[in-house]
Amino acid sequence: MSVLSKLKETLVCLKAGRVTLPYPAQAQPVPEKFRGRPLFDAAKCTGCGGCANNCPAREILLFDLCQEIRILQYLGRRCAYCGRCADVCPEKAITMSHEFETGTNSIGDIQQRVELFMSTCQRCGRCFKEPSALEQLKLKGYRVDDVAHERWVFRSKSYLDTEPVVDDIKIEMD
Amino acid sequence: MVAREKLNQLKEKFGGAVQRADMPCNERLFVFVEASALKAVCQYLFRDLDARYVISIGMDDRPFSGKFMVAHDFAFDQDHLLCSVLTHLPADNPKVDSISDVVPAANWAEREIRDLVGIEPVGHRYLKRLVLPDGWPDGVHPLRKDFAWNQVPEGYDDTREFKFDEPPEGCTVVPFGPFHPTLDEPAHFRLYIEGEMVRGCEYRGFMVHRGIEKLAESVLTYNEIPMMAERICGICGCVHNVAYAQAVESAAAIKPPPRAEYIRTIMLEIERLHSHLLWVGLACHIVGFDTLFMQSWRIREPLMWIAEKISGNRKTYALCVIGGVRWDITAEVKGELRKVLDKLESEWTPVVAAVSKDKNIQKRTRGIGVADRALVKNAGLVGPVARSAGVNMDCRRDHPYAAYDRLDFDVITENGCDVWSRVLVRAKEVFESIKIIRQCLEKMEDGPLQLTIKDELPVGRIGLSSVEAPRGESHHFVITGENNRPRRWRVRAPTYQNLQAIPAMIKDQQLADMTISLGSIDPCFSCTDRMETIDLKSGATKVWTQEELLKLTRTKKT
Repeated sequence: MSVLSKLKETLVCLKAGRVTLPYPAQAQPVPEKFRGRPLFDAAKCTGCGGCANNCPAREILLFDLCQEIRILQYLGRRCAYCGRCADVCPEKAITMSHEFETGTNSIGDIQQRVELFMSTCQRCGRCFKEPSALEQLKLKGYRVDDVAHERWVFRSKSYLDTEPVVDDIKIEMD
Repeated sequence: MVAREKLNQLKEKFGGAVQRADMPCNERLFVFVEASALKAVCQYLFRDLDARYVISIGMDDRPFSGKFMVAHDFAFDQDHLLCSVLTHLPADNPKVDSISDVVPAANWAEREIRDLVGIEPVGHRYLKRLVLPDGWPDGVHPLRKDFAWNQVPEGYDDTREFKFDEPPEGCTVVPFGPFHPTLDEPAHFRLYIEGEMVRGCEYRGFMVHRGIEKLAESVLTYNEIPMMAERICGICGCVHNVAYAQAVESAAAIKPPPRAEYIRTIMLEIERLHSHLLWVGLACHIVGFDTLFMQSWRIREPLMWIAEKISGNRKTYALCVIGGVRWDITAEVKGELRKVLDKLESEWTPVVAAVSKDKNIQKRTRGIGVADRALVKNAGLVGPVARSAGVNMDCRRDHPYAAYDRLDFDVITENGCDVWSRVLVRAKEVFESIKIIRQCLEKMEDGPLQLTIKDELPVGRIGLSSVEAPRGESHHFVITGENNRPRRWRVRAPTYQNLQAIPAMIKDQQLADMTISLGSIDPCFSCTDRMETIDLKSGATKVWTQEELLKLTRTKKT
């Protein structure tokens, strides 16, 4: 039995004292750069689709109702809070918030939906300035992700073949 | 030119069998050989030239060259050279000579190639299914290019059962896992026990496959993969993140700016510090010494906070993109990091002083889980397990990456070959890491964090990258490809090799020492089991339990 070692170890423990923090009874502040749940600012978003194209978890869907209306939906299910969407956003419309206690039984609490009015552009209609050649839009033109089943669709169209009636799809109104 | 020297040796020995060679730099050698000569070449490299076996990779190259490919990676640690021996195989009924009888460490890798790519290793002595789930139909290989990433194979048979081997005569079978208090992740060991002694075991793992490589090859793009790569492992995530980025950079001949290299080094070392402290704690916990478990985790906590401050998260730093890093280390953080290191050093020194003389721990760890030099060589063991057997090997020095070539540090080795030596190695490496970070903070130059990449990356280039994770060498193999994503990306986590030596390490030991022997390699099953392409839920009861569990975890605790 190595008594000296045991004494030394006791000293280490005594010196440390009690260090446990009273979380969650008492909230702990997070550092400034903390990457929590991303928040989308509809006023700044231009609907370029950069975030949706560069989301590793494919958590951001785009759906073009018609030339003028684009829907951007953040699913919030397996988002890894990596912050790439905020990185590539040319308008700084996405901020990584400090929210991290996002456990919920209703996923709607986390999901965000942005309905955007898109002006008509002669090229593809969506202007995304990529940070490097590795982030460029692979899916240009109209996006038709499966919003109903919350699935990313690996296709985009250069034109909308049939003009859908707005009533076709339920648009949530505030 | 070491690479040229090795190539000349190979040419001299095998002549025309060496078809083509690439030497993009002095530290890399890619040799294409005839399939018939592959085994002999590997034997020559492994036995005569004393290369270290790293990993074998199988590839479906049919859409590009019309053939299958197999690569065996070797490392010449003293010569700072990573070498890949590649061969092309015909598109129909691909077969390759197994090298596992001359390179025993290739056992798993060849079984994995057979499972996932469908290349038959001829002459392999134990061709049991390794990676695919039990009910997966035969003849369907998920890593082939004609198999879609989201495809569910026809004929999946839920009821097919795993066939265990027959235990040796006179032995009783004791199941260990898949869920065991000392395992944080699922893995199943079927131990053959004679009295109290372990005589052997059968391993059944790969229960946490996630299909990450397949996703990377078919869905994600270059700059998305780093965020996925770091989720391969919860402890050494940054290692995979950096290793992937470096492998692509090495393939595309991109050099990140110096400041980015220093930041990568600092984050890797912060990760090593946290991992070593975590592991020393866990190892003590396994042998029942909870005091040190708690103290070493307490000492570790400020490191997590500083990592959070730098990167925005305690773990999963999301650090790298191709050609640089995303987070800067500002002057303010620098000062704080210095303080954290000072405190860590002053607190860890007395702990090491006390523990290194503690007879109780030594009684549980000395002479336990022995892996000697021969086993290290044959099973391809890496990291602290190799260094505890006196093998002076460390990728940071042997295959320098990031800023390690500009830093001064020692490689810690011990000669006990046992768990106790591993404890010592990892406890002492903490001080080396502190030294490394201090030098980085001193030498870090101002400059950009990312290189601007104006063009798409070249296609069909091979990149290798070895990064010294806290548990050992993580090796990434990348072939660049079309559509802004790699054609093939193979991750070899350190546990992949170390775990294969467990049957040898626990043989003829007491059953009670099984836990710490296994714990001593710091097994990370998620790293090892990187891929799963299917997730079939079983009975309704289980689903209900899961939902209930989810509900429980989502309830606010306040």
